[in-house]
Amino acid sequence: MTIKSEPFIVNVGPQHPSTHGVFRLRLTLDGEKIIDADMVMGYLHRSMEKLAEERTYTQNIPFTDRTDYLSAMTGNLAYVMAVEKLLGIEVPERALWLRTIMAELQRIASHAMAVGIFANDCGAWQTPVMHMFRDREKILDLFEMACGARLTLNYMRIGGVSKDIPPEWLPQARKLLAELPARFAEYEDLLLENEIIVARARGIGTLTPEQAQAYSVSGPMLRASGVAWDIRKADPYAAYDKVDFDIAVGRNGDVFDRFVVRLAEMRQSLRILEQAVDMIPGGPVHARWGTATVQPWGQAVAPLAFRPPVGEAYARIESPRGEIGYYIVSDGGPAPFRFHIRSPSFINLTPLKLMTVGVTVADAIVILGSVDIVVGEVDR
Amino acid sequence: MLHALTAFLASGDWYDLRDLGNTVGAVLDDLRSAGFPDWSVYVISSLIGAVGILLWGILSCLAFIWIERRVVALMQNRKGPNRVGPAGLLQPVADAIKLLLKEAITTTGADHILFWAAPIIIFVPTLAVFAVLPFGPKMTLSDLNVGVLFLIAIAGINTPSVFLAGWSSNNKYAMLGAMRTIAMLISYEIIQVLALLGPVIFVSSMRLGDIVGWQDHYNVWLIVLQPVGILGYIIAGAVETNRSPMDIAEAESEIVAGYHTEYGGIKFGFFYQAEYLAGFAIAGAIVSLYLGGWTLWGAENYIPPWIIFLGKLYSVFFIYIWTRGTLPRLRIDQLMAFAWKFLLPIMLVNVLVVGGEVLVWREWEPADEVALSIIAAINLIFGVALVMAWARFLGHGKGNQKGGRAILTQEVGRIYFDPETVAR
Amino acid sequence: MNSAGVEIAFWVLAIMTIGSAVAVVMVRNIIHSFVALISTFAGVAGLYVTLSADFIAITQILIYIGAISILFLFAIVLTPQAERQNQEGFLKFPALGLCAAVSAVLIYVALDTNWNIAGGDGFSETATQIGVLLLDKYVLPFEVASALLLVAVVGSIVLVSPEPPVEDD
Repeated sequence: MTIKSEPFIVNVGPQHPSTHGVFRLRLTLDGEKIIDADMVMGYLHRSMEKLAEERTYTQNIPFTDRTDYLSAMTGNLAYVMAVEKLLGIEVPERALWLRTIMAELQRIASHAMAVGIFANDCGAWQTPVMHMFRDREKILDLFEMACGARLTLNYMRIGGVSKDIPPEWLPQARKLLAELPARFAEYEDLLLENEIIVARARGIGTLTPEQAQAYSVSGPMLRASGVAWDIRKADPYAAYDKVDFDIAVGRNGDVFDRFVVRLAEMRQSLRILEQAVDMIPGGPVHARWGTATVQPWGQAVAPLAFRPPVGEAYARIESPRGEIGYYIVSDGGPAPFRFHIRSPSFINLTPLKLMTVGVTVADAIVILGSVDIVVGEVDR
Repeated sequence: MLHALTAFLASGDWYDLRDLGNTVGAVLDDLRSAGFPDWSVYVISSLIGAVGILLWGILSCLAFIWIERRVVALMQNRKGPNRVGPAGLLQPVADAIKLLLKEAITTTGADHILFWAAPIIIFVPTLAVFAVLPFGPKMTLSDLNVGVLFLIAIAGINTPSVFLAGWSSNNKYAMLGAMRTIAMLISYEIIQVLALLGPVIFVSSMRLGDIVGWQDHYNVWLIVLQPVGILGYIIAGAVETNRSPMDIAEAESEIVAGYHTEYGGIKFGFFYQAEYLAGFAIAGAIVSLYLGGWTLWGAENYIPPWIIFLGKLYSVFFIYIWTRGTLPRLRIDQLMAFAWKFLLPIMLVNVLVVGGEVLVWREWEPADEVALSIIAAINLIFGVALVMAWARFLGHGKGNQKGGRAILTQEVGRIYFDPETVAR
Repeated sequence: MNSAGVEIAFWVLAIMTIGSAVAVVMVRNIIHSFVALISTFAGVAGLYVTLSADFIAITQILIYIGAISILFLFAIVLTPQAERQNQEGFLKFPALGLCAAVSAVLIYVALDTNWNIAGGDGFSETATQIGVLLLDKYVLPFEVASALLLVAVVGSIVLVSPEPPVEDD
């Protein structure tokens, strides 16, 4: 015997505590069970790709901060790499190492946020996220030392980075790196062995490798589904081919494995950073190309406007959320003819319906949290 | 009357703060002897008690709003409110003023009468619980002979009023929250009843005063004799007061604020305060039933008993603050399965065991100390064994509840997908 | 009824009980009538208190307000379009006739009975006596009732449990 009930439509968002921005999920419920899920996007659409066509290549760098605002370094990096490819610039060694260090620090900060907010979505009322913020805060301090900003960093430049790190930067970074292993051990003890979190996250939102690949999912979500795919290894950029690290892979493809993979990646990032702070060479941090000048104190003054040759370039890197790619078409003018972002949040969000239909509302929130979206990047 | 009062004030007993009941009793005796009819004395005494409890409740709420925020902030590496007044002490007052002055908004399509009535309806039973709690030897507002049953019955009244709040606000989150609350409350009411049966069987009275007196007489707290019972009652209490990890009815990350999503201003203030008062009531019941009430191994002769009682009450309430800062939330079906599959059988067996023990005790009449220590030992060992065995029977502790670690690899492109069979 | 307090309490409770009972059938909004029903139950519980039947009064609250009303709630929520106002129906007149007949019988019985007025102060401990009676004199009906409840619980579980998937053979 089945009791029929009317379907019940609930709008999760755009105003909701756990949509991680202004994302709207339209759930059709049968009791607590989800029978249909619709994603409504575009509440944070700022038309970045079109705006970029009106601005010069250098002026576009701040836009890349504001797509994935929790991971501004990687957005910067992917964009400048694309333009460098277009121009054929050789970046100095020290700049490559600085880019690696900054990207990995950013990965720890972003994953700390993702893991903390995920625990918050599970109902751990703010405590894990506040503990994670402690580490993120120190990383942001390092960013502030290096470039003056904390969130929208605008650090990378076409041909290098905006300025060299101050002399006291590396000692402070080493101090932080010495603190972090104990913290990570604490998080792993408290969260991975927490029976309630395991009960909430095991076995829900499962994506098989076939499904994940079919949806073009990338980053920790793909790796949680058991596919050992990491652009840092598969298509090394910056200085990743010179450091030793592992790819963290899950076995079940469920929400819990995404969580596990992120925590393990934080440890791997730490490993990369520990090598990088010792291996970083001296030298300039900005290539001399075109009209670019480098001030004696290391500040790079990149040309504000230049005309790259006609052509197109695509550069991809492993951002904390997955493969972030910038596709740039140049018609020889001072602004890109086409500027496209392959944003991992947007593409990782597409299998959400596949994952949420059939589970309960509480699970849907946890699944959405496990995707780790940044709505600025979803809508752009 | 004036004459009687002056005589009483001069008698020198009025300042005996060890039991405020003495003071009130003396006033009432004087009133009676001054020729007031019985019923008016009765009305005055209930008014004194009710107003006293209300004032205490409001003050405790204000204090605990500050304590909870500061304690949880400490757990979270924050400072908490520290700007209004010394150490932020006036923050709850500022909050209360803010709530009072806010615009009273009623949602479109809300059922106006019920929308306004629900916060009031929910407040009444919450306060009524305190009527039967013995704050001190003579400080029970109404020591009903069915006090334990009263606790459960009054808790049951909350269910329809929560539903009314959720239904009348014309909001789907509120409705979801209300339905979740009802499902949870009626499941955990059974656990609560079974947990309370243990002390009642031991004492063979449902009067809370008798239960405290029994613990005083045998010089043993019922927590020693009823470890499983207090476990069930604390969990059921967390469910009833919507405390983490059972705050499913107002799960912020899922359904915004549950049944009071649409409430703002002082209407929300009522829900907020009712929640705190319900927490105090549960803590008070735990203290009276399991932790010896106002007794403290003789110290009650020197310290006012009501201070002992309140100290214990706040300590028990602190457990709920602690869990709120620590634990994530369960899913509703997991919570229900926990009640029906896990707690219910354990509680039933516990009641059976307690019944048997009391029967044997009465039949053989051994020395009280011997009997109580044997019963305590049996119940503790049996309780732990039962919980562990039943958990194992239900599949816990067999590895699939344990978290895994990620596989670390260097082989790009290899697929490691190999799902374990995970029971959902 | 020898004191003013009990007298006042009786009249207040009687008005509350009967007034909300009337409201149950008179108001159009089904949720409002649900609230009125709870108020009726509470009034009856109050009347039991004035008769110094504490146990029955608390049980009334526990079972009627705490449990029976939840059953009503489920019925209301599971009914499609429960929010809709009660509509006029042709059953109005038969219902009125039936109610009139039942009231007439009740009033006749009430007036015809020779009511004994109990002396004394009432029972001090009703709960103990009820418990002793249930497990002594009325132990058979008690056990039969519990067996009946068990059958009902098992039956409801069987009714709502999902059907096992049909196995191909």
